[in-house]
Amino acid sequence: MPTSHERSSPERRWSIRAPQNFAGGISLIALAALALWLMSDLPRGTLRSMGPAMLPDWLAIGVGLAGLALVASSFKPGEALERWSLRGVFFILLAIVGFAVTIRPFALGPIAIPGLGLAVAGPLAIIVSGFATPEARLRELVILALGLTPFCMLLFGDLLNLPIPIFPQSLTGLFPADWSQKAVLRATAALMIVGAAAVFFLGRGHKADQVDVAVQGGRG
Amino acid sequence: MGDFFSNLSLGFGVALSLQNLGLAFLGCLVGTLIGVLPGVGPIATIAMLLPITFGLDPVGALIMLAGIYYGAQYGGSTTAILVNIPGEATSVVTALDGHQMARQGRAGVALGIAAIGSFFAGTVATLVIAALGAPLTKLALIFGPAEYFSLMVMGLVFAVVLARGSILKAIAMILVGVLLSTVGTDLETGQERMTFGLSFLSDGIDFAVLAMGIFGIAEVMRNLDNTEARDIVHKAIGRLLPNKEDFKQSYASVIRGTVIGSILGILPGNGAVLGPFASYTVEKKLAKDPRRFGRGAIEGVAGPESANNAGAQTSFIPLLTLGIPPNAVMALMVGAMTIHGIVPGPQVMTRNPNLFWGMIASMWVGNLMLLVINLPMVGMWVRLLKVPYRLMFPAILMFCAIGIYSINSLPTDVMFIALFGLVGYLLIKLGFEPAPMLLGFVLGKLMEENLRRALIISRGSLATFIERPVSAGLLAVALVLLVLALLPSIRKGRDEVFTE
Amino acid sequence: MKKIALTLAAIGLATAAQAQTYPQRPITMIVPFAAGGPTDVIARIVGDHMSRTLGQQIVIENVAGAGGTTGITRAAQAQADGYTIMMGHMGTHGAAPALYPNLKYDPTKDFAPIGLAAGTPIVIVAKKDFPANDLKGFVDYMKTNGEKVNMAHAGVGSVSHMTGIFFNAVVKTKPTMVAYRGTGPALNDLMANTVDYMTDQIVNVAPQIQGGNIKAFAIATAERSPALPNLPTTKEAGLDGFEVSAWNAVFAPKGTSPEIAKKLSDALVKALDDESTRKRLLDLGGVIPSGAERSPEALQKLVESEVARWTPVLKAAGATAE
Repeated sequence: MPTSHERSSPERRWSIRAPQNFAGGISLIALAALALWLMSDLPRGTLRSMGPAMLPDWLAIGVGLAGLALVASSFKPGEALERWSLRGVFFILLAIVGFAVTIRPFALGPIAIPGLGLAVAGPLAIIVSGFATPEARLRELVILALGLTPFCMLLFGDLLNLPIPIFPQSLTGLFPADWSQKAVLRATAALMIVGAAAVFFLGRGHKADQVDVAVQGGRG
Repeated sequence: MGDFFSNLSLGFGVALSLQNLGLAFLGCLVGTLIGVLPGVGPIATIAMLLPITFGLDPVGALIMLAGIYYGAQYGGSTTAILVNIPGEATSVVTALDGHQMARQGRAGVALGIAAIGSFFAGTVATLVIAALGAPLTKLALIFGPAEYFSLMVMGLVFAVVLARGSILKAIAMILVGVLLSTVGTDLETGQERMTFGLSFLSDGIDFAVLAMGIFGIAEVMRNLDNTEARDIVHKAIGRLLPNKEDFKQSYASVIRGTVIGSILGILPGNGAVLGPFASYTVEKKLAKDPRRFGRGAIEGVAGPESANNAGAQTSFIPLLTLGIPPNAVMALMVGAMTIHGIVPGPQVMTRNPNLFWGMIASMWVGNLMLLVINLPMVGMWVRLLKVPYRLMFPAILMFCAIGIYSINSLPTDVMFIALFGLVGYLLIKLGFEPAPMLLGFVLGKLMEENLRRALIISRGSLATFIERPVSAGLLAVALVLLVLALLPSIRKGRDEVFTE
Repeated sequence: MKKIALTLAAIGLATAAQAQTYPQRPITMIVPFAAGGPTDVIARIVGDHMSRTLGQQIVIENVAGAGGTTGITRAAQAQADGYTIMMGHMGTHGAAPALYPNLKYDPTKDFAPIGLAAGTPIVIVAKKDFPANDLKGFVDYMKTNGEKVNMAHAGVGSVSHMTGIFFNAVVKTKPTMVAYRGTGPALNDLMANTVDYMTDQIVNVAPQIQGGNIKAFAIATAERSPALPNLPTTKEAGLDGFEVSAWNAVFAPKGTSPEIAKKLSDALVKALDDESTRKRLLDLGGVIPSGAERSPEALQKLVESEVARWTPVLKAAGATAE
């Protein structure tokens, strides 16, 4: 197997040894070790009747060897490690996990979250993830959230009848009892759009140009 | 030959009725709109939209479903090009060069050539089905487990060729991909592998989840790192449609892609998945300057997209003539047919000629609709790229979450896109490319299953792969390709790619 | 104490009132398999008519995974208010306890049975070139050639896997088992003469039998099927003890009030009596339960007897999906 110099990313190229290859190699070796450990109690079987562990074991060994080769190649000059952005990663992960635990009832050990539906989970995901960039502006994100969410609610819940939870079950009591599910959905969506418009017009005086852009995003 | 024309005219008589035209249009439109959601590919789209066809008569319902299928397929390519999130295995390849084109302000050209290439491929494939559907079925029966294993090995070699940069890292990624594909319940023994005892892992990792994580979410995280790179995408828009030069560059790729895709689409067990990969490999090998690939080569979009659509269409052949669904999408079509009281099988052609030929004709109509709907929409999609990134990515993220949730209604799927997003981000930071891993993942499952099946049937004799001529031939091609890829001179050429 | 009693009474009244006005909003029916499979198709056909009776739509939610147990686990843990029901089948409510030792529900205890919907009979099929022409010849061949024969199935826990194991136990043979991902690829290899035989639901194999691509030996029901009238039953062909059909049945979570369960059950029975619904089910080769088999009590008995039937067969074959 040839050891190669690594220059995978065109943006940066300052040459010290090759910490990137070193870290990559170590990660592969760790992954291989993890796989071998996880597979250790399963039978490998024979060629005639292969067990569940035979192929994964071979693959893990292959991954480990590739990792070793990478580590070896890291003693030649190569790519440095890139800069990390913790802020972006953190808010994005938080937003996705936030969506996952609020879309329907969720319980993990002592923590229990009632299902809040798309009406809450959607805006939550948009606003939290928006803060992944330092350029975030809350007002813009609120408009985006209140504009896009009802669009999705109408598309999935009303037009396509998909079984995606739309709003907190506990809130259905707030609407007149003889309203159908659809009517509640449309009313909620309308309310959110009105909310978006309200926020939009309230702040229009200051930053009209950026607001326009936000609305364009809302159509997507 | 007379039959051929009378059959087709019967078919077009059915497909061109006002109602059916409308249904084809509606299907394509809805399919595109849902399929364009990041991570939502044709399977998910059809599963979601299946119920809305229940109220229709069988012919209309199937025509609409076929429209949804093509629409979703094209919608998936749109997402792959615009935001680098492939919705299904076949659009991974489109993302490679298509997204690069978008970054260079050529998103409209990429979307346009994809639509036009798909239309051409669809037209040819429709004729192939109508003329040769029945005899071609035999091809599916030649492919047993041994042949299929060898085909997959060849596919994995494609993945090496496809990769940019270090071959060592590409091979490592392919191995990791295959390893990931073995997570979940073992098909033969039912034992769970590497699931950490978690029940939602017992069916393995879902392709859409993996692809959305390591392509889409990771891409967002990376874009947040370097502001310079992403701004380029949003400033330049460029031409909307391909011009003469673009056509000149890509027409041969479209034709080759169509041929490759049509043949691979007929194979059982999701052979169509290999079409775009094979086409990409061929284009890269034939190109005068292979270094352009992965950096926005129009042939890298035109060929695979044509192969993709041709394969999508010819994969109807086993379903229509044998009643055997070769992949998950076709299995859904079987479900749709049975709900309407049609049990697919060899008798459909004789018992329901209206339906059979109507559907074939509607395939072409569907492709035409796709062109009609999508060429005007190209401008709209491209304009979306103008939205500032700080607003664009939260929207992408929410669509990703909704899309993945709506496939299986499992919040754990949503959490996994976060996990794989993190993994993908680390991979980028460590200089690994996600595409070969995704290919390894897609082909790995098929490869392992067929390897074990072949060995069980041959009672443990490895010679079975060489004794069977088709299998031996495929392995030989794989070997030649691998040698070519590893040859030092070619490797040198690869490394030069990075001297920008 | 009095307070608690009052509260309980209030809740009782409230649920009674709720049952009277039920259903007020759409009902979710969880189908634990992907859209388009036999169970999904039956759920959609039956659910369609039940919606009309109940005056509220029954929305099908496909929650696939782990042989159907993911969806059933979720449905079992849902609120027992009648707004979440499920379509269970032979696997999830019969074989699952043997296949999945960590199963989070008990098919016999954690559900309020609503009623049997429809079943699809099992057919024994073989490749076209198989050196036997009837069930007796097939069984004799199996007894002498045992391991040389390849049996195809659609994956551990699938109907074809379970019934195949059951068949092998009845015939006392141990063929080599070849697993496929789904019925389609398995049938493809059966037609290509790569594997020798399989047992599967009639809806999957009937077109191939009619088309002459594979041969069928017998149907594992008490009576012949109108879809394949020339095919003898296992009993007619001289094999006792192999009668099995993949049944599908509607369940609600445990604790669903009897009034609500009754409304659902009545709606289901009405659907099974409806001419067009019956026709759609029969076209699939489905078997519609007759009067006595439709009651919730009969379903409860069926589940108990199925768990008792599958557990020893599957355990003896060493089939678990741990």
